[in-house]
Amino acid sequence: MTNNMTLGQRFLANEWSALAVAIAIGLVTLAVLSPAFLTEFNIYVMLRSFCVVLIVAFAQMLTLAVGQMNLSVGALGGLVAIAVGGMMEKWGFPVPVAVLCGLVIGAAGGLINGLLTVRTGINGFIITLATASAFTGINLGITESIPFYNLPASFVAFGTERFYALPYLLLPPVLIAIALAFFLARTVPGRQLLAVGGNPHAAELSGIPRDRVIVMAHTLSGLLAGAAAILAVAQLGSAQPSIGVDWLLMSFAAPIIGGAALTGGHISVAATALAVVLIVIIQNGMVLAKVDPYWVQFLLGALILAAVGLNRLRAVRAGGA
Amino acid sequence: MKWSLTHGFTMTLSVSSETRARPSWLAEQANLIGLAAIIILFWVLFTSLAPGFVSSFNLFALSRSLAVDIVIGFSTMVVLATGGMNLAIGSIGVCAVMASGFLMQTIGLPIPVALALALLLGAFLGWLNGFVIVRSGVNSFIITLASASLFLGGMLILSKAQTFNALPPEIAAFGRMRWWGFVSPLLFVAIGLGVALIILFRFTALGREILAAGANARAAELSGVPVGRAIIIAHTLSGALAASAGLMLVFRLGAAMPSIGQDWLLPSFLAPVLGGTLLAGGYVSVVGTMLGALLVTTIRSGLLVMQIGNFWLQLFLGLILLFAVMLDRYRSVYAERRSLGRKNAGRRA
Repeated sequence: MTNNMTLGQRFLANEWSALAVAIAIGLVTLAVLSPAFLTEFNIYVMLRSFCVVLIVAFAQMLTLAVGQMNLSVGALGGLVAIAVGGMMEKWGFPVPVAVLCGLVIGAAGGLINGLLTVRTGINGFIITLATASAFTGINLGITESIPFYNLPASFVAFGTERFYALPYLLLPPVLIAIALAFFLARTVPGRQLLAVGGNPHAAELSGIPRDRVIVMAHTLSGLLAGAAAILAVAQLGSAQPSIGVDWLLMSFAAPIIGGAALTGGHISVAATALAVVLIVIIQNGMVLAKVDPYWVQFLLGALILAAVGLNRLRAVRAGGA
Repeated sequence: MKWSLTHGFTMTLSVSSETRARPSWLAEQANLIGLAAIIILFWVLFTSLAPGFVSSFNLFALSRSLAVDIVIGFSTMVVLATGGMNLAIGSIGVCAVMASGFLMQTIGLPIPVALALALLLGAFLGWLNGFVIVRSGVNSFIITLASASLFLGGMLILSKAQTFNALPPEIAAFGRMRWWGFVSPLLFVAIGLGVALIILFRFTALGREILAAGANARAAELSGVPVGRAIIIAHTLSGALAASAGLMLVFRLGAAMPSIGQDWLLPSFLAPVLGGTLLAGGYVSVVGTMLGALLVTTIRSGLLVMQIGNFWLQLFLGLILLFAVMLDRYRSVYAERRSLGRKNAGRRA
């Protein structure tokens, strides 16, 4: 069947084709309507907001890959953010040490999620809803909602400096995306992750340690949530306890708009990244058009529904053909 | 075809390894008694540590927030009955709240009419959720996550996030009303809704259909239960209940605020899950949900009176939810071991 398709048909059947078209339309419209859109500074601003969202989306994507979900990405992110901020401001840790500790805390939080889910056999939704509340509680209990402002200058500079339109902040997300794509496509644990998500029974029968893979997915998810939080701290220049509170919708929106199935086994690093690009363009367009910021919330919901509808349509077509 | 698909979704999502067996009558009572014992323990603890806990002022405040927590719990419970979820209850609640504020303050409609219209709006938004879920066959988690964002965004765009704080004085007066010095009449509204739900799930064909759809959608469909209709009705009901909870908060605050509902997600799941309602669907406990809400409200109020404050509260609630579900899990594992012959027991879906 694939051979009979014209190039156009093949493009339409591709997961990210609709996304690419939407992005192209968005780019052209905004470039025509707003002279401020294609300026170097605006591109820098867009790329900068792209960074954190992308890693948050990856964090959720990995749990979706095994048919789980992680409602605690934002809460864990908030906890890592204030931990890193606190370690640098109160304890005077050098930046690399604090960053490393932050990543360890993130991974540990994810590990807790994974172990609780697997060991108790309770739905990951409830487990991560509960741990999210616990992580937020620890965050607020420690900080009492007061941010850490006095961060090392080198760390803050990393969050603002740029090479023409390219923010330095973009480097970690790009490296993570490449590593993740390689991990999922070419390594044994990555393939196992997708296999468990695709069909847990078949995976288990072929000797893949299902529980261990689920724990690994949660741990990596926590690690990425931590990485996103550290970038967010660098971007904001202060460790706000409120980092992460608005991540939940975004974290699901991007992978789902990118075509991830909630049932697991089906994710795409590139499509998720494109979805984040689309979200960032929409947000930026709203700002340039000086529309109510509330429209972003509204449009994001509509976008998820549209993407889900489109995917369903494609699945029905594929089933019928 | 459509149903087998949806069913497939629910299976992987919410049943990932829960036993779907309905708890026996005895186990159900044991769960409620256990919950009640924990609540009593906390009351004794808080009363001895902080005498202010049982002051009529605090009891009144507690009864008011308990009423809201119970109804929020019901709103999630009726959807859990079908094996689905509704992440949009906070957004539906705040839409109803702002609609009621608009109708009373800007349009000047009489209070009962405004409240009825706000409830209708909630039911309609819930219906919309159910309709899209059934028609698209897409998981309720995704649909309600998206619709939560849509509803909230739409409300913020229309209301410009302005609070309605010039409502008719009767609203705040009703919210302040006390019976016997320490109970808010709102609590009786919540209990009344609970009685209605018990009747629905115990004695009506519709209630049984909703539960049957949740227990095993395919089997229900084969035995002639209109599963799609049952799911849509459950979501409609959930929307109406979310709107009721929102309106209760309007009475309590004496104003219609756009920030209402944003922190409902955790308590909405806490109350039914603590009360023994199955996430996988097919079984609800109305009394359990009320007790679950009472436990949450008790802890929140107790920590406030002891001035531990809001900061650590989240941690406690999270740990309690974890503890409760784990306890429940181990109890059912224990029960399975005792009835070894039961087919499929402990098998992972």
